[in-house]
Amino acid sequence: MTKRRVFVRGVGAYTPLGATWPAAAAELATGATAIRPITRFDATGFPCRSAAAIDAPFPDEDRRLPYTRLAAREAWEMARLTAEPARLGVFLGAESGRCHWTTALGLARAGRGPDNTFDHGRFAREAPAFADRIDASVISPSAVAVALAVEYGALGPVETISLACASGSAAIVEAARAIRLGQCDVALCGGVGADVDPLMLAGFGLLGILSPRGISCPFDAHRDGFIIGEGAAMLVLSAERGDARVELAGVGRSLDAHHLTAPDPDGDGAARAMIAALHDAGDPQIGYVQAHGTSTPLNDRIEVRAIKRALGDRVATAHVSSSKGALGHWVAGAGAVGALYAWHAVSEGVVLPTAGLEHPDPTCDVAHVMGRARSKDVDAALANAFAFGGANSCLVMRRAT
Amino acid sequence: MRPVAIARTAAVSAFGAGARGLGRALADGALLPGLPSETPLASPRSRKMMSPAAYLAARCLADLLRDAAWTDARDRIAYYLAVGASAGSLDDFMALLDESLVDGAYSLERFGHRGLAACNPLLAFQLMNNFTLCHGAILEGLGGPNSALFSRGAGTITALGEAVYAVASGECDRAISGGADAPTHPATAAELGRDGLIGRGLVPADAAGLLALEVARPGDIVVEGCGVASGRGRPIAEAIAHSVAAARLSETVDLVVIAPWGPPAADALRSWAAALHPTANVVSTAALGESLAASAALAVIAAADLLEPAQRALVLSLGVDGDPGAVAIARGAA
Repeated sequence: MTKRRVFVRGVGAYTPLGATWPAAAAELATGATAIRPITRFDATGFPCRSAAAIDAPFPDEDRRLPYTRLAAREAWEMARLTAEPARLGVFLGAESGRCHWTTALGLARAGRGPDNTFDHGRFAREAPAFADRIDASVISPSAVAVALAVEYGALGPVETISLACASGSAAIVEAARAIRLGQCDVALCGGVGADVDPLMLAGFGLLGILSPRGISCPFDAHRDGFIIGEGAAMLVLSAERGDARVELAGVGRSLDAHHLTAPDPDGDGAARAMIAALHDAGDPQIGYVQAHGTSTPLNDRIEVRAIKRALGDRVATAHVSSSKGALGHWVAGAGAVGALYAWHAVSEGVVLPTAGLEHPDPTCDVAHVMGRARSKDVDAALANAFAFGGANSCLVMRRAT
Repeated sequence: MRPVAIARTAAVSAFGAGARGLGRALADGALLPGLPSETPLASPRSRKMMSPAAYLAARCLADLLRDAAWTDARDRIAYYLAVGASAGSLDDFMALLDESLVDGAYSLERFGHRGLAACNPLLAFQLMNNFTLCHGAILEGLGGPNSALFSRGAGTITALGEAVYAVASGECDRAISGGADAPTHPATAAELGRDGLIGRGLVPADAAGLLALEVARPGDIVVEGCGVASGRGRPIAEAIAHSVAAARLSETVDLVVIAPWGPPAADALRSWAAALHPTANVVSTAALGESLAASAALAVIAAADLLEPAQRALVLSLGVDGDPGAVAIARGAA
């Protein structure tokens, strides 16, 4: 059976370096970084005090919806298409949203019983007052996808993928699959991360995976952890080519089945996902790899090993970079902005650099894109996303012919 | 495309730990024993790191793999799981709270410095919904294509459809799908109460239900189709009809198993079934309570349990998201 082809008709992003993808890409091309000391709340005492945060006047609580709305609108306007409501789907990578941290702690305090253990009876009496402050229609993982579906009148599939750092990429996979299966003709898809908040900063920091220095420099010999970032990236996929220059040609997923917070030391799961995506795309010549590249000592070294295994001899002609030096780690949105880097390479002939990379780690010996963007005629690009818990998701973008 | 069979099922629910007889117990209105007390996993240490839903999913997955005797090539088994909003242990939150207070008031600095360190170091990860899938996958060594779909109803049918497609298309020879959720968590229960769902008859119940899928052989229970439809802006009967059409069901059925979130949803599903399949036996999962991401999977398991040779069943779900889902299954002649 011939697969239905999936074309990228529009892209959009709302990022700490620009409110649109062209604006962000222009900054990214210069090697700029959005990573700064946190000012949204007092991060004194936290294991890491820097982030790539968006300084915009949105409410201090859950920011996923405004970020995603803006990115989706840009992608939709670029696509310039119409879709029957029943043939339009929405696929979003997102984790749960956040209420204000004082509300969360207050909710916990409502159940505080004798000896500081949880008292269900007390919680049942006290919790409703706090529950009223938490709008489930805002913080539910599916709230953003549902809001987009309402906004665009989508009556096709509406899915929320919660796959940690692979969520955004996996949502794009789901969208492509739905188009291939004929479940919809047009898909609004992508991911959003909005984790610059005390809970995630403390949670990631406690595990020692954030950079104590507050610097993200993927593949650098001095890398010491990642930096939390935030933003949304969206794509409009369609079964009709229109004027699309890029198609989503291949997708692949796997599980490491190894560890909750550490990658498989051999990179086996990551390599299997890449190989599956490449095979799905017909094994094209890859000119660019948007690496997951978190800037943790473990991930980057293992990912390079996996890239070499997946590409084999083809790795010699592939340039590699990571968005996380400039934009930080968007967690559920990371795979989606990675997809835009890959799209950009194929569509615009520009491979964006890894910000912060100055002294490449000898164990990460691939053709890095350092300093500024470089022009390159890229026929096909690979975008990786690997999640805590071991879920891997890879995409292949290819020039539409 | 290859025909796909339900090879084995597993469940941990108000019916206890097990799937055999689940459908019959629901059909007969039998007394349900309730959710079993915790059983140690192969790696008891990992239990502390798990959310309640992750534990249920891991426990159920271990049972399923053992019953299916899928001991080899686990790195090629696909796993598509519907999950709810994951939540940490409230005792952990108490410890966090205790360490974050200075003179009775919250201190952000103290929280950042000591709060989380006082409780489970993986608390932040317990809040990530994919860990409901990943804990079990790591314990059992599953390495194939996968996804964690957030579900309050229809997402569970979508997950099943993904897994069926993985086998049907030849991407994998084996796949696992289902759902796991723990809506009795006080925070989730409070939210359901605030939204008025408990007042309208929703009874929260923790559960997990999983199905093992492989290429069908003669006599197997075959998944003929899975479909979901949006319930927004259209009459519910019309939405149900769309979901059934998406499941490619065109024939009459002998059995309808409904998974309604509460009495209003049960009425809608029963009415639709009575109108379109008046001779079918209708069984409800309501006695199991509402398990959000797990309910539709439990309904498919119940249908598979009840299906006689040469019979066809339709599973209809209507979760709190308001989107109906449908699954058509048929057992081949003996």
